[in-house]
Formats: sequence, C-alpha cells, structure tokens
Amino acid sequence: MIAAVERSASEIDDLDTLVRLHWLRVFRFALASLRDPDAAGSVAQDCFLRAYRSRERFRGECSTEAWLMRIAVNLIRDYGRNRRLQFWKRAQASAIDLGAAGQWVPDGGASPESGAIAKQQLAAVWNAAGGLPERQRTVFLLRFVEDMDLLEIAAATGMKEGTVKVHLFRALQAVRERMGRSQ
Amino acid sequence: MSQHLSSREVSQWMIGERTPQQEQHVRQCPECGAELARMEAALALFRGSVRHWSSRQVRIPRPLAPTRGSRGYPARPLPLRWALVAAALLVLAAVPIYRNVQDRQRQAEIARADALLLEQVDAEVSRAVPRPMEPLVKLVSWDFSATDGSDENRRDTTRNEEIR
Repeated sequence: MIAAVERSASEIDDLDTLVRLHWLRVFRFALASLRDPDAAGSVAQDCFLRAYRSRERFRGECSTEAWLMRIAVNLIRDYGRNRRLQFWKRAQASAIDLGAAGQWVPDGGASPESGAIAKQQLAAVWNAAGGLPERQRTVFLLRFVEDMDLLEIAAATGMKEGTVKVHLFRALQAVRERMGRSQ
Repeated sequence: MSQHLSSREVSQWMIGERTPQQEQHVRQCPECGAELARMEAALALFRGSVRHWSSRQVRIPRPLAPTRGSRGYPARPLPLRWALVAAALLVLAAVPIYRNVQDRQRQAEIARADALLLEQVDAEVSRAVPRPMEPLVKLVSWDFSATDGSDENRRDTTRNEEIR
C-alpha cells in the first residue's frame, strides 16, 4: 500500500510520465462525454495541468487514474454547463461526430444482416448514452468504456458506491429501452 | 427459478448484482442467455467504437511546459541554472563599474581642457601689450614700473634703458 502511494506520488511529480501513461484514457473519456475531439483535447490538457499544479494535495487515497478521472469529470461537467450556451455549435458537432463513430463495427467476418443489426444496436447505445443525464452518462462511460469497477467509479466521481449503482442501473435501463425501440 | 429475467433484473445483472438462482436460471434458459449476450455485445461494440474513435483522434502532446522551480520537475539542470544566475549577477555588477570609469575619464578630460583654457587666458591677461604690438615696444622707450610689476615688463624696461 505504502509502495503504491509512493509510486503514485512520484508518478504525479513527473509530468511527462503522467501524460504518457494516462493521456489516452482521459482523452477517451472526455471524447465519449463531449463528442468533440477539440474540446476533449482541451479538457485533457487542463486535466493534466490541474493535476500537476495541485499534486501537493494528492495524498494517495486513491489511484492516480481515479484522481485524474475525478479532475476530468469536474472539467467535463463545467465544460458541459458552459456549452449549453452554445447550443447550435454543440448540435452541429454532435451530429458530425456521432455519424463517424456510431458507424464503426469491427470486421469479424459477420454476415451483412448481423453487421446491420450490430450497427443498429451501436447507434442505439450511442444515442441513448448521449441523452442520459450528466451523472448517469459519467457513470455509464466509466463503467462500460473505461472498465472501472464500482469503487473506482465512486472514487472518481465522489459519489457513494450505492449512488453509483443507482445511476448505473438507470443508465442501463435507458439504454435497454432505446435498444428495444431500435429493433 | 422458472420465470425469465425481467428488464430490471437484466440491468442489475449487468451491474454485477445477481443471485445464485438467477445464475442457475441463465445457465439453463437460452432466451435469457441470449438477451444478456445481446446486451453485453452491444456494450462491447460501444466500448470498441469509442476506443477506435479516440485512438484515431488522440494527439498525445509533447511534454507540457513545466513550472519553473517546481518540485521534481526542474526546468533546467541545477548547475546550469546556477551558472546562469552567476552570469547575470556578474553582468549586473559590471555595469555600474564600467559607467563609473567612463564618468571619471570624461571628468578628467573636462578638467584638462579647463586647465588649458585657463593657462591661455592667464597668458593673454599677463601681457602688457597685445602680441602683434610687441616689436613696437622694443623701439619705444617705455616705463612700466608704475603700472605693472610683472617679470616680462621689467625685462622690457631694462632692455629699453640699455638701448637708450
């Protein structure tokens, strides 16, 4: 435990290492949340700068990743609030990005029918995730994109584990409902 | 457990909340197994598409600009920084010394020019007659003793007496 805390502290002291190890994950989470690559890049950069500047306050109570994700969650929330003022810009960006990302299906030698069904399901999840309330979306993305367990999500969001479960359950219900309608 | 999993139970299953009875039912029920598999596949597709998209969009930046003097991330190696500080101090110390030397030289030049000018003025003032009239003085008897006591005038008087 002590070794892990020391490792985390030294990791945070070295900005290069911090960026190299965690940039992709923070960027990915920001991209999935905001659906705007430029905004995701800005959020990721702010996240690492904030983390580095406030590294004195990191006491190793959670992993470096959870700590970074917590900063990213706050930044994305703030960004989302500011972005509500730019409704048209957001609407345009979301439409473009969803079109590019929602069509991706891996080449697995599947038949045209199953490929079409997969695309349909994928689009349904994208749409459902985009329509989720902020907290539900955050929890959903951390669980099903970042593969974080409930305790890690609780650490990253500052919620209790039970609250995380409730948000996750509601998010899944919304996704299932959307998937059902798309069939 | 004979009934199929409800929509709520499927969502709870996906979170990880499941009872042993539900697990046993899913093992035996192809319909519930298919429903769970469909849900898991859709979420895996979503994960894959987000990861694929982000890997295409990501641009890992060059090291972000470090804060000077920050802990654990010095802007430059320590000896180099000290050398730069010492050089800056040397330059700062040398500037007043150089200015002082220049001022002294300028003052000395001014003093020298003033002294020369004063010497010229003294020489002009001490003459009894202007320089162009000096040959005439030699020809004319002139008594300077009452007017001027300078050495030159005395010499001229003596010379006039001799001529006489």
